[in-house]
Order: sequence, then C-alpha cells, then structure tokens
Amino acid sequence: MIEVAHLTKRYPGRVAVDDVSFRVNPGEIVGFLGPNGAGKSTTMRILAGYLPATGGIVRVANHDLATESIEVRRRIGYMPESCPLYGEMRVDEYLRFRARLKGVPRSKLKARLADVKERCGIADVGSRIIGHLSKGYRQRVGLAESLVHEPELLILDEPTIGLDPNQIRLVRSLIADLAQRHTILLSSHILSEVEMTCRRVLILNKGRIVASDTPDKLRRRMEGEATVTAEIEGPQAEVEVALRSLPGVSEVTSEGIGPWRRYTLRAARDGDTRADVFGAVAAQKWRLRELHQESATLEDIFVSLTSSDRAEVRQ
Amino acid sequence: MSAFFTLWRKELTTYFLSPIAYIVMIFFLVVMGVIFSLLVSVLADGSAGVTVMNLLFGSPFFWMTMLVLVPVLTMRLFAEEKKSGTIETLMTAPVSDTAVVLAKFAGALSFYIFMWLPTAFYIFVLWFFSADMLPPDPGPMLGGYLGALLIGMFYLSIGVCSSALTSNQIVSAIITFAVMIVLFLAGLLDYIAHGEWVRQVSAYLSSYSHMLEFSRGMMDSRPIVFYLSGTALLLFATVKIVEARNWK
Repeated sequence: MIEVAHLTKRYPGRVAVDDVSFRVNPGEIVGFLGPNGAGKSTTMRILAGYLPATGGIVRVANHDLATESIEVRRRIGYMPESCPLYGEMRVDEYLRFRARLKGVPRSKLKARLADVKERCGIADVGSRIIGHLSKGYRQRVGLAESLVHEPELLILDEPTIGLDPNQIRLVRSLIADLAQRHTILLSSHILSEVEMTCRRVLILNKGRIVASDTPDKLRRRMEGEATVTAEIEGPQAEVEVALRSLPGVSEVTSEGIGPWRRYTLRAARDGDTRADVFGAVAAQKWRLRELHQESATLEDIFVSLTSSDRAEVRQ
Repeated sequence: MSAFFTLWRKELTTYFLSPIAYIVMIFFLVVMGVIFSLLVSVLADGSAGVTVMNLLFGSPFFWMTMLVLVPVLTMRLFAEEKKSGTIETLMTAPVSDTAVVLAKFAGALSFYIFMWLPTAFYIFVLWFFSADMLPPDPGPMLGGYLGALLIGMFYLSIGVCSSALTSNQIVSAIITFAVMIVLFLAGLLDYIAHGEWVRQVSAYLSSYSHMLEFSRGMMDSRPIVFYLSGTALLLFATVKIVEARNWK
C-alpha cells in the first residue's frame, strides 16, 4: 500500500526526515512512534501530499507521489494533527462539501454521509455548528471527514491528542473498527496507545527509523534479561549466595533494614526464575512475602531507543 | 472541474456565514445610497455638464469605499485557512493548487458582484421618476458596470495574492490596502506631475480616470487589457505562492 524509499526532508539548517524507508502492506495498522519533533508529522505530511520531499521515492497504491499527486490524494484520507475544521460550518454541510471535493458522486452522497456519521458516532450532531462542538466530537467529525470518500489508506496524525480518557477509548475502538476495511498509518507519542492499536510499530527518532517490528517482538528483542524482585526474610549473606547460584541469575542486589530485605535479580529471560527463587527460599525455610518479574514495556524500549546517547549506538 | 465549483460554492457561502459580509454590504449600500441622493439633488438643480453614471461611479466616496472593502473581502481567503490549519486538509484533497486559487478568487468576485446588484435599483428609480420617462443611456450604464467589474477583479486579485502571503488577516488587509493606495495615487499623478513620462505611465494606471471614461460610455481597450492581464498575472503569482509552501 505504501512504499517509502530513502525519504528525506531537509529544511535550511536541519534535517527533519533522514533517509527513511519502510513499507506498509494492505490491511495493516502501523503506528509511528517517536518523541515530539522526531519527524512523524513531517513524514505524514509528505505522504499525504502536503509537503514535497527533498529526496526519495514515495508510492501509494502503485502511484508515485511526486508525479501523480492527485491520484495518490484520491486514495488517502488524511487527518492532520490539530484536526482543523471550518468552525463556522455545520457538520452535515462540512461533510457534504468535503465529500464533493473528494469526488464522491452526488448520487452516493447521502448514503456515504449517513455511513460515516453512523460509524463515527456523530449522527445526532449533523445540524450543529462545528465551532460549538466539544473537542471529542470535533475529532470524530475529522475522522468522519477523512473516511468520507472510502479511501484505501488512512493517515491519522495523533488522532487522540487532547482528548479526555473516555473520548480516547472511543476513538481507539473506532480506529480498531476501521482497521477491518482500511489500511491505517497512525502516529502517536503515547506508547500504550500504539501498543494497543497497532500491529506493527515504527519508532522514529531524529528523523530516522530506529526500530520496526511488532510490539511483542520489539519487547523480546530488547530485553534479553528480566528483573525479578523478591522480599525475603533470612540471613542476608546466605540468601544472596543461594539466589546467585540459581540458574540464569547474573546479578543480585539487596536493600532494606531488619529481617525483611528486598532482593533484585537480573536473570535470563528464557525460563522462569520465580519458581527457582521460591524453591530456594522454601528449601531453607526462609520466609517470602513478595515475588514478581518485570517484563520490559514498550516504554523501556522507547526510552532506550530514543534517548540521545543510546540511539546513536544502536544506529 | 467539479472540484472548482464545489470550492467556489463553499467560498461564496462562507461569506454569508460570517458577520463581516453583512457589515461590508451594509456599509457599501449606505455609501452608494448617500452618493445616489447627492446625485439626485445635483440633477434636481439641473447643473449642466454632469452625467448620472459619472457621478455614481466617479465619486470620491465610491473610491474610498472600494479601497476599504476589497481588503476586507479578501483578507480571509488564504490567511484564515493557514491560521486554522485547514489549508492542510484543503491542499491534501484531490484538487490542484490552480483550482483552489481560482475558486477563492471567483468566490470573492461573486460576492463583489452580489454587492453591486442592489445598485441596479437606482437606475430604475431614475428612470421611473424622471420627468420625461426616457430610459437611461445604455452606454454609460454598461460602461460603468463593466468598469466596476474590471477594476474590482484587479483589486480583488491583489487581495487574493496578499492573503496567500501571510497567515495573519490584518497583515493581508494592510498589504492589499497599501498596494491599492499606491496604485490609486500613482494614477492621480496624471493630474499633478510635470514630467511627460510620469504622466503617461500614470495615465495607464489611473483607475480613477479609467472609471470616469467607462462611465462616460467610452470603452477603451487599453484599460480593459490592463485589468484583465493584471488580474491574470496576480492570480498566476498567487498559484506560485501557494505552491511555494513547498520551498520552506
């Protein structure tokens, strides 16, 4: 659906997008993740045909963006970051205008409008003036607008920014629903959101793609080791020796005063160290009151890939 | 093509969704009404050597109004879209930059024409209430309206162009106003300058004297070509400016 090769966007004095290449297959939901200023919006604006690239090739549905911009734009539903709308128009009026502009024939207009309003949950605000709507409704009008011509590809730039938690859940479930019919590329700087909605994640930092995989695989790839925490009552030196001798454990630290101490273990990910810890404690008749293993979240991966010192190393 | 008409219709209806359009229309009609009543009183005195259309289109009141109205009508066109970000949804729709510029210009021009329509009523008033019941001379009448149309097109295209330059409506209005004032005053140099070439150049630019000639029923092809080509040039420049978002 999207093929991007060596995409570069240069502004005087800085590079916003630096040699980015990726593919999005039909039917995929792909999330762009990155800190603010990583080049997510710029890349999306280029894909939507708003900004031209300085270099590189972008093909959408087998049309070259540079030479067949109008053809590409016909196939894309794009929602910019701030979800700009004409505040003085009514919802129906706006959707009808946009549908006509995007070439929806007059005969299908009514059905299309009813369909997108139904799917986006704005059927009851059709005659309201957009400027008077709440942010959540406006966001949904923006989404409805981007769907109105049944595009093959949806590009949504930060679709849930500025919404309250309830509205975020609504928009998320809406996106998940849309994924059945459209290919979706969305951006976000909220990790849990991308983790929840996207099947594949592209992590951008400083205009480059630093990682591209499913959230699960990224997690696995990132952390070869897991962290196990246990609170044990027993003689400190003996406990530490016992823990260190467990298979796969590379490092044990402890903290706390008194009989209960908190031990932190670095352990290999394959196999579950927790059972071994319990076995060791039980064998010595020590007492155990807490035991858990932390797996790396997408957040850890994100931080490690995009914090400036390590990102360079990984390149 | 259908995209152009969709955009044009949207531009025109947007005028009627904002209070500015109504204020502009009321202002324009009040001024034209004052001009008309002055004109009727001059006619009632029976002064020699004046024609109706000359008074209607050539009055300083009319020019003051034009110079204020045009920037107000055009300042919004691109500046507001840039400010609110809707330019991004607009330019990512499957429409060409040229269609967008032409539709915005056509929208402003349609509103301008709409604004002039009620003044046709004056002519009927003159016709029905003049003692001899003669129909007004069609030459000056058509000439006057043609002049208003051509000069309106030229000035509106200045406004469209300056609106594309900035995201601030006030800045756009000021640029339009400044360019119009300079052109208008350059036209007046014809009456005061000494240098021969200054006067010749100024005669080509003088909207004021062009309008007087049009409203006398004289259709000189030079000002017609000047306004049409000027409009085309400015709209072409606007398309280039809109495309130039790409260069930054």
